[in-house]
Amino acid sequence: MHDSYAVNVDDVSKSFGAFKALNGVTLRVRQGEIYGLLGPNGAGKTTLIRLICGLLEAHPGTVTVLGQRMPNVAVLRHIGYMTQQAALYPGLSVEENVAFFASINGAEDGVKEALELVQLYDRRASVVATLSGGMRQRCSLACALVHRPELLLLDEPTVGIDPQLRVQFWEYFRRMAAAGTTLIVSSHVMDEADRCQRLGLIQYGRLLAEGSPADIRVQGGSQNLEEAFLALARRRES
Amino acid sequence: MSGHRVRAITRRLLQGFRRDRRTLALLFVAPIVILGLLGYLMRGSSSVPAVGIANEDSGPASAVVADVLRHSSHIETSDIDASEGDAKLRDGSLVAYVVFPQDFTQKVAAGTVSPEVHLEGSQPGEDSPVIQALQQAMTSLASQVAGRNVSFQPHINYLYGGSNYDTLDYFGAAFVGLVVFFLVFVITIVSFLNERSQGTLERLMASPLRRGEIVLGYMLGFTVLALVQAAEVLVFALAILKIQNHGNVLLIFGMEALMAIAAVNLGIFLSMFARSEFQAVQFIPLVVVPQMLLSGIIFPVSSEPTALQYLSNVLPLTYAVNGMRDIMVKGADLTWSALQLDAAVVAGFCVLLIVAGTATLRRRLG
Repeated sequence: MHDSYAVNVDDVSKSFGAFKALNGVTLRVRQGEIYGLLGPNGAGKTTLIRLICGLLEAHPGTVTVLGQRMPNVAVLRHIGYMTQQAALYPGLSVEENVAFFASINGAEDGVKEALELVQLYDRRASVVATLSGGMRQRCSLACALVHRPELLLLDEPTVGIDPQLRVQFWEYFRRMAAAGTTLIVSSHVMDEADRCQRLGLIQYGRLLAEGSPADIRVQGGSQNLEEAFLALARRRES
Repeated sequence: MSGHRVRAITRRLLQGFRRDRRTLALLFVAPIVILGLLGYLMRGSSSVPAVGIANEDSGPASAVVADVLRHSSHIETSDIDASEGDAKLRDGSLVAYVVFPQDFTQKVAAGTVSPEVHLEGSQPGEDSPVIQALQQAMTSLASQVAGRNVSFQPHINYLYGGSNYDTLDYFGAAFVGLVVFFLVFVITIVSFLNERSQGTLERLMASPLRRGEIVLGYMLGFTVLALVQAAEVLVFALAILKIQNHGNVLLIFGMEALMAIAAVNLGIFLSMFARSEFQAVQFIPLVVVPQMLLSGIIFPVSSEPTALQYLSNVLPLTYAVNGMRDIMVKGADLTWSALQLDAAVVAGFCVLLIVAGTATLRRRLG
């Protein structure tokens, strides 16, 4: 039913009033791959993620997810979305939050596993408002993956969390990808890029380059990803 | 204490308001609108209550009084038959009627002026112009029979309410519903806005939930709370405050429930038009004050200027307040067409808001 691409973004543009957030972006994400969306703040990463999960509609262009043209409510049960801000109910406990997102996706049985995955099972009774920022991020991740989605959209999941937790997060991501989940991770931190199988570099709403970290190094003519990115950005501007 | 630092705070505050046009508008436009409305309501009145006159007396005294009543600026009169008076009070076409019995002139000659005054009585504000007009007529009659001591002893009958009703009995019926309506509205608008500002609404929209499911789920959740509150208010009003009630308690509760559901959906719908809790709170005076003034709680709708009556007649709270009074003061049940209309309008308003809230949900997300 699904083609080999989990996500197919085809010549997509999106404007907000006079501001063009995305301008003719085309990219494809294979099933089971970790795809990194890289770019500075305001490059259009969040807009692209919102288009992929159907919160926004492309104009012009098409977004196809798991074989279905977006927006499409039926596909949403196979998508997990972790928003940039840890969007949780502060008055509920960790477990109540995760159980809520589980139940709206019809996956009540996944709560314990999700809590164990993010190592919050022992803190499951804690009220979210009393948690540290890092724990909230973990809880937010658990909410996004509790229904075992085929596609996981992670909007800057590691912003504001300590290096130890960041390593842990990437460990989860790798395990999920190995199990067949497709992950799209946005970031503006270059050292995370190397952990992705493929990268899309975005700036000013355009896709500058796409490929594996090694490809990007070759295209940008530098062993350092950050320098390669800057070189590609300069080349595009000139 | 540093003047410089204090100035910095003051300047920061004013700078913020400069960009918040809506708050500025509320600050400077709302008082003018509210006071203007109040002024128009109290001074712009052209509507006077309809009063029937049934003259069964053929003598000159009743003719004098009736004539003064007909020319009074406080009321609008029509000639009726005494036997149809109560029916006209019930259907709302008259606020009061005055009967001059056959022996009216005879009694005046004997020194007693005793017309029968029948008042509808469910809204105290409507009675005073009638009493005022009657007093004028009596003064006029007294001057014509000068030199004689005439005592004014009207027989006053109330169709509803009456002399054993105090102010709380009249207003209590309206306020029982109102308290629930406004509190539920405030709680809903703020918490639905929270859903938006804490980012969870975006998550919900990216889930298989449909918009209608979100709105309905919210509605049911808040309705549960609102019903508990409505029951508490009702028990307090009837058992502790001992507000008089001639209707079925379950009907009052039903009407309260309808108002609560309307308030929940109004809160959800209006939260779509607020970007912050601050802006949401600003809807409160905009929603509360005009409805307080125009829904007939304090000023009877029938005595409003005609233009405002049109406005009152499209406010759902007008029907809700009317329904509560019908039940508690008049003892209405569901066989009354007036109560059917009131309940239908409030229920229709709920449905309209559910549809509107659902339709606006996605549009306001981006």
